[in-house]
Amino acid sequence: MSHMKCGLFNLSRVLIIMDELGSSSQNISSIALLRLLQLTSPALPIGSYMYSQGLESAIELALINNEAETQNWLLGMLNHTLCYQDLPIFVRLYQSWQGSNERQIQHWSQQLLVSRESAELRSEDKKIGRALAKVLSQQGISCAENWEHEEGITVATMFSLAAVQWSIPLTAAMNGYLWAWLENQVAAAIKIVPLGQSAGLRLQSRCVADIPAIVAKSLQIDDDNIGFSAPSFAMLSAHHEVQYSRLFQS
Amino acid sequence: MSTKDNLSTTSSFWHAELELVFQQGFSRTVMVRCRHLGPLRVQKPFYPEEGCCHVYLLHPPGGIVGGDQLSIDINVEAQANVLITTPGAGKYYRSTGAQAKQQQRFRVGKQALLEWLPQEQIIFDGAYASVSTRVDLAEEAHFIGWDISCLGRPASKDYFVQGRYQTRFELWRDKQVLYIERARFEGGSDLFNASWGLRGYTVVGTMVCISAGATEGDELIMQLREALYSRYVLLFSVSQLDDVLVCRYLGDSAAEAKSIFTQAWQIIRPAFVGRKVCRPRIWNT
Repeated sequence: MSHMKCGLFNLSRVLIIMDELGSSSQNISSIALLRLLQLTSPALPIGSYMYSQGLESAIELALINNEAETQNWLLGMLNHTLCYQDLPIFVRLYQSWQGSNERQIQHWSQQLLVSRESAELRSEDKKIGRALAKVLSQQGISCAENWEHEEGITVATMFSLAAVQWSIPLTAAMNGYLWAWLENQVAAAIKIVPLGQSAGLRLQSRCVADIPAIVAKSLQIDDDNIGFSAPSFAMLSAHHEVQYSRLFQS
Repeated sequence: MSTKDNLSTTSSFWHAELELVFQQGFSRTVMVRCRHLGPLRVQKPFYPEEGCCHVYLLHPPGGIVGGDQLSIDINVEAQANVLITTPGAGKYYRSTGAQAKQQQRFRVGKQALLEWLPQEQIIFDGAYASVSTRVDLAEEAHFIGWDISCLGRPASKDYFVQGRYQTRFELWRDKQVLYIERARFEGGSDLFNASWGLRGYTVVGTMVCISAGATEGDELIMQLREALYSRYVLLFSVSQLDDVLVCRYLGDSAAEAKSIFTQAWQIIRPAFVGRKVCRPRIWNT
């Protein structure tokens, strides 16, 4: 129990520090922080653990063989694809939910989905997005219900909805979105590279240190600069579709 | 006059526009409109295959410098068949500060086919350019297009360490966006050597294909994998993103990229429109 308290305390401190480094300082209420922890928990029944986002393919093809190479992959994805593609659209989705601007929500959600570079990446975003819509509607967020069967759904669409509904400040929600991605990728790397638990923790810590700056940078990206293409990542994900032996769905 | 003053005058930059309209005539596709401003031209259309109009796009200055603005607008009306290519590689030269902008807008009408198969673009170190392409498809329109970019000229020890080259590609059908790709190559970025990025390679290509109907079933993609995966391990990939088929190349040779994409085209075109490919003769020169 004391272990858990300690974990929460550290995370809330991290979030405060992140906000200080971000463009604006945003206080997060205790209840909003707890909701964010719930939203980013690997125990949330949305099936994220089934996806490796090309990591399994990169490891199979020996482009990633150890902790250092895993770190380069994770930091690269965070600093480029997530910073230029996911986060700026996340910001616009969050603001659209705040303004209940249905047209803008549809627009940005579709933009993100069709920017996914392979069939598996698209399918993953849709499936987890729909599972999250289901969880949120069961949690009483009624507008999530309409999204359960929506074609143009993404994880970011539902994550930003939950953040707005639960009064999670924007930068905290963005930090949480990256954390959830990171935790899932590291868990996949531990299984497939394979890496030890302590290597996994080192990777998390190393990437967490970069997250505040990535969030701050993504807040500055204007519409014309949204988007990023990582060619090898896209190709590895395409190759994963025909990988003979695999644990993950992407 | 300082360099900066030179930059502020537009006279040293090219502003070029080209607008083409194609219509289906009785027996073949006809270029019914060709309007150009500045140095962007097309040669008289060729008809090396039945019905399909082949057009060579020319840019007489031979390269694009910072500050140049090019706009290409192509309208392929219902049932017309057009293949457009270029006689040689496009070049984006080092910029002294201003950004070069190229905008391409393609409209493809009902049951029409546009094949946009330009030769590669060579991006010189220090180039500062953005290319944006938007394709709007009518119902039952087909599109096959590729883009091959060479970053720097490694053979001349000219690596892309400075500048920025951005491309933005959007494919739409009936006001619905189907595919977006926005590439961003910043000189000196870790992208160039990263396992997720270019892995030390300098030539990157994307080929986007969409057929009239929904391309249900896996037959086409399986044929492409079978023909190309074992021969070009990790140089080529293909994925079916809903209705859009996306092929990619990552390697170190534009000639190889063209050769692989041409092989893919030889499989894709017959599946889409029931006709064999007809290589533009200019590619042989």
